Amino acid sequence: MSDSMPGAAARDVLRLAQPRPRWFTPGLIAGIGSAVMAVALLACSAWLITRAAEMPSLAFLGLAVVGVRAFAIFRSVLRYLERLTSHDAAFRQLAELRLGIFRRIVPVAPAGLASTGRGDLLTRLVRDVDDLQDLPLRVVQPLLVAALTALLSVIGIWLIVPAAGLTLLVCLLLAAVLGTILSGRLAATADRELAPLRGALADEVLEVIENLDVLTAFDALSPRLAQLARTDARLRRATLRRSVGVGVQSAVVSLFAGLATLGALYFGIPALGTGGGLLSPNLLAPTLVVAVLVPMAVFEVFGMIPLAASAWRQVRVSARRVADVVPASPPAEIPVDIENSLALPEYDRDEFVLELTDVGAHWPGQTEPGVAGVSLRLAPGDRVHLAGPSGAGKTTLAQALVRFLDYTGSYRLGGVEARLLAQTEVRRMVGLCEQRPWLFDDSIRQNLLFARDTATDAELLAVLARVGLADWAAQRGGLNARVGERGALVSGGQAQRIALARALLADFPVLIVDEPTANVDTAGADALVRDILTAAADAHRAVLLISHTPVPDDLITSRVTMPFRG
Amino acid sequence: MIAFAWLLTRAITLAIAGQFVGEIIPTLAALAGVVVLRSVLIWLLELAANRGAAQVKSQLRALVLAKLADRGPDWVASRQSARLSTVVTTGLDALDNYFARYLPQLLLTVIATPILIAVMLWQDLGSGLTVLIVLPVIPVFMILIGRATQSVQQEQWQALQRLSTGFLDVVGGLGTLKIYGRERRQFDRIRSITEEYRTRTMKVLRVSFLSGFVLELAASLSVAIIAVSIGLRLIDGALLLGVGLFVLLLAPEAFLPLRQVGAQFHAAADGLAAAEELFAILDDEAVPAATALSSALSTVPPTADAAGARTAAPVEQLGPRPGSGSGALRLAGVSVLRGDTIVIDRLHAEFAPGELSVVRGVSGVGKSTLVAALLGFVPVTGELSLGGVAVPAGPGRPWLAWAGQKPGLFRGTVAENVALRAASADPTVPDQMAPSRTVPDPVLIAQALLWAGAADVSPATVLGVNGDGLSGGQAQRVAAARAIYRALANDCHVLILDEPSSALDAAAEAGLLAGLRRLADQGRVVIVVSHRSAVAAEADHEIELQELIHV
Repeated sequence: MSDSMPGAAARDVLRLAQPRPRWFTPGLIAGIGSAVMAVALLACSAWLITRAAEMPSLAFLGLAVVGVRAFAIFRSVLRYLERLTSHDAAFRQLAELRLGIFRRIVPVAPAGLASTGRGDLLTRLVRDVDDLQDLPLRVVQPLLVAALTALLSVIGIWLIVPAAGLTLLVCLLLAAVLGTILSGRLAATADRELAPLRGALADEVLEVIENLDVLTAFDALSPRLAQLARTDARLRRATLRRSVGVGVQSAVVSLFAGLATLGALYFGIPALGTGGGLLSPNLLAPTLVVAVLVPMAVFEVFGMIPLAASAWRQVRVSARRVADVVPASPPAEIPVDIENSLALPEYDRDEFVLELTDVGAHWPGQTEPGVAGVSLRLAPGDRVHLAGPSGAGKTTLAQALVRFLDYTGSYRLGGVEARLLAQTEVRRMVGLCEQRPWLFDDSIRQNLLFARDTATDAELLAVLARVGLADWAAQRGGLNARVGERGALVSGGQAQRIALARALLADFPVLIVDEPTANVDTAGADALVRDILTAAADAHRAVLLISHTPVPDDLITSRVTMPFRG
Repeated sequence: MIAFAWLLTRAITLAIAGQFVGEIIPTLAALAGVVVLRSVLIWLLELAANRGAAQVKSQLRALVLAKLADRGPDWVASRQSARLSTVVTTGLDALDNYFARYLPQLLLTVIATPILIAVMLWQDLGSGLTVLIVLPVIPVFMILIGRATQSVQQEQWQALQRLSTGFLDVVGGLGTLKIYGRERRQFDRIRSITEEYRTRTMKVLRVSFLSGFVLELAASLSVAIIAVSIGLRLIDGALLLGVGLFVLLLAPEAFLPLRQVGAQFHAAADGLAAAEELFAILDDEAVPAATALSSALSTVPPTADAAGARTAAPVEQLGPRPGSGSGALRLAGVSVLRGDTIVIDRLHAEFAPGELSVVRGVSGVGKSTLVAALLGFVPVTGELSLGGVAVPAGPGRPWLAWAGQKPGLFRGTVAENVALRAASADPTVPDQMAPSRTVPDPVLIAQALLWAGAADVSPATVLGVNGDGLSGGQAQRVAAARAIYRALANDCHVLILDEPSSALDAAAEAGLLAGLRRLADQGRVVIVVSHRSAVAAEADHEIELQELIHV
């Protein structure tokens, strides 16, 4: 998250988070109403008491008595309504926000997302998107409510004692400006000083905890802990230095609240009995008391502003992170459908050939090509093992073949250059079982059905049997068994088998299986590779198995070894 | 202190406001003084609160880490490491709100509210009583509402949890969805998921906002009641205006701290959850391993060859045993218990020096547990001896070098990792590492890399967190090189590698095996846990772990 981040991208993201006026306004009106009622309650009570001290007849006070009670009730009712309507608006907008972000993610995913491959970063992206709901709830609404209520109060006081109204205005402005500047300064210092320290500490803690076994076995634990304690101490010292400034903001608000009251007294008392503002050509004691006390109530409402400011900083950070991870337009390495992209012409499945000549591909943001100079040919019935050391770019090639990454050189599908085809067309022909297959938090049935939604239960069970999961599925309770969040309830090998079952259902003419054993217990890996190749073998299908580990010759028709890079 | 001053400020402010017809200048000056004093006090309060929070956090962090170090790797591995570190870092930060806001506010409430009420009672009995009656009603009502809504909320909770991860599921699986041409259909799914999320959440919120509503209503109504009653008594002349105004202004103040406690409570709730986890870690008392083990083992029916295994005494009590092969690592009737299951049951094995031994066995048979036992990470019973001398329990085995299944690399250069010394935590901060006991030897590092089949990895390569920057196979070989370096530098007699070639291609594996052969030739005990046939072919000695048949 560099400071040089252009704000435009983040602003785009923020715009998505703000609910449309139709949803937002009711909450806003209720909020302002509630805040005005709070001020009015105090004003009315003060007037009531002071007027009562002059011992008028009870009838003069009747209206005020009713007013006080009404203000008290309406204030709470409106506040309740405000919270309900504004939350409702924020949640409604959440759908828009998610869709808007999703619309931007779709063309670039998965290869163009800066977070690809890092599950935790992805989780953070989603959490950041959801945190953006705070924008209307905790930033825009409190700010508008506070500002408008303050404005109304200033006008009211100005009508009573013009000078006091002006004092209140000046005090409010100063409190807002000084408070915001001070807290902004402090936050900036905090970001500069504390955030790196905090990050360093978090990284160190994670390293120590994750590698406690290594540190213990290598007798390196106590120096590590000592070093951690030093980082902790640095962070603590920085925090202590900063804490001097933290309370300044509330102090400033409190100071100006007092000053506004003082101002009202200072200007109001001489005017007593002579001349006031428009409303009170002859200023009376009850009115004066109102003018003196209202500032206190206003500043209480005003207290929302510091909270809103800190919420704003958090929202802004989230927006920036989202904007960073999700580029507004796809980077050059991510393919975009050309205009008038073709549908694949009629073809004979048994003649459908995939042909690569000198193919290379880049990951976004990398200077070196992830893979280069690959030539191979896949015909129906072929089972090719793509071998090569880890880091040779085998996965890069797989991503390019399903057009998640753009390619250089020539890649022909059924005789047509893949670049000319719509991406969806390519992916109709070429399927991929990913290294980490994603299982949706749903039943086994749903995880299979989206590959071919017309499949019957019998077909699903048959395909599960083909990939060696029949017993397992039966044990789990059939197709309705859930796989858990991110497939938490299935092992790495089972996940691969489910992914293969999916691919078999979709019946791709060309199937790429990328490192199926990467997340599989080493002992089960050989059996998995054998099962995959046996299940996928078909005279009408070409299979490309990507694996750095040896594959027995009897399972494959040929082997291609990736060249080393550089 | 602070609360008292605050109250005093209030009192003076109001007393002065009451006598607005009197002499102005001195009272105004006093008022100004109090205003300034109050803001200074507020600042001091926050300062103290923040300082306190920072100190407490540091202490807690140190305590937890010490505890983790004390518990050892096996205990930590039984918990999710990501969760643990979240607790130790961001979880602790969530405590900020608890210590810096909630606790001071609670303290303030406890101190200030009684004083405010006392003053009100003293000034005007009627108003004071009103507050006194209404105030306790608020928590009671909040608790009642909380109770009533609890069942509703819990019903919704499960559904909400699932719905809130729905978006993550779609975004995370987008690659898969694109492969199957399903990405466009997800727009509707996201919309319906979010819409359902909204309706369900709103149902919950409608109820939970009620407690806030009650609080506000009680507070403002009691202010209204006080105002009206004061007004009526003023008409009768039963009350002085000054007193009336004073009490009126005190009334909302009496409710303010309580309302703020309520407001801060939500922010502090995260912190409280984190704190609970922290204290759970701190309070977790490990069952004394040896007794648990022996009591569990005594439930196992004895078998014919169990004579050695039945001595369930801690290993350190065993003296040297004569007659074992010179320099061999012997296991006699070694058992390991995890939870209630016996993972390794009375294992007898001998690893001879100068030999390359391979340990095989199907997945889940306890190979990694055996390694952990050799490392001293898990308590064992039975005899474990090296060169005829019993090995004391617990970690800290200077004669042992090891590489685990997970590479476990650190930030820093490859050379720093191989010669594992404390890497600098933060590149922007001057290096203030503890002096390492041995100065890294570049020649030895190169040799270790060579013998691990990792000669293609430059020692100067800089790694990110978790060894970012190396491919899986490279990281695995660097980890093996680290163990080899330790074996060479500290002249460790035993080298254990757990699945060192699972991510390696055949060529790299051959390189590693050649290196291991040379280490064995130097007279070391070399143990490799592996299922790879190339490793088995190279080994002099093979141990097949059998699956336990549980009765």
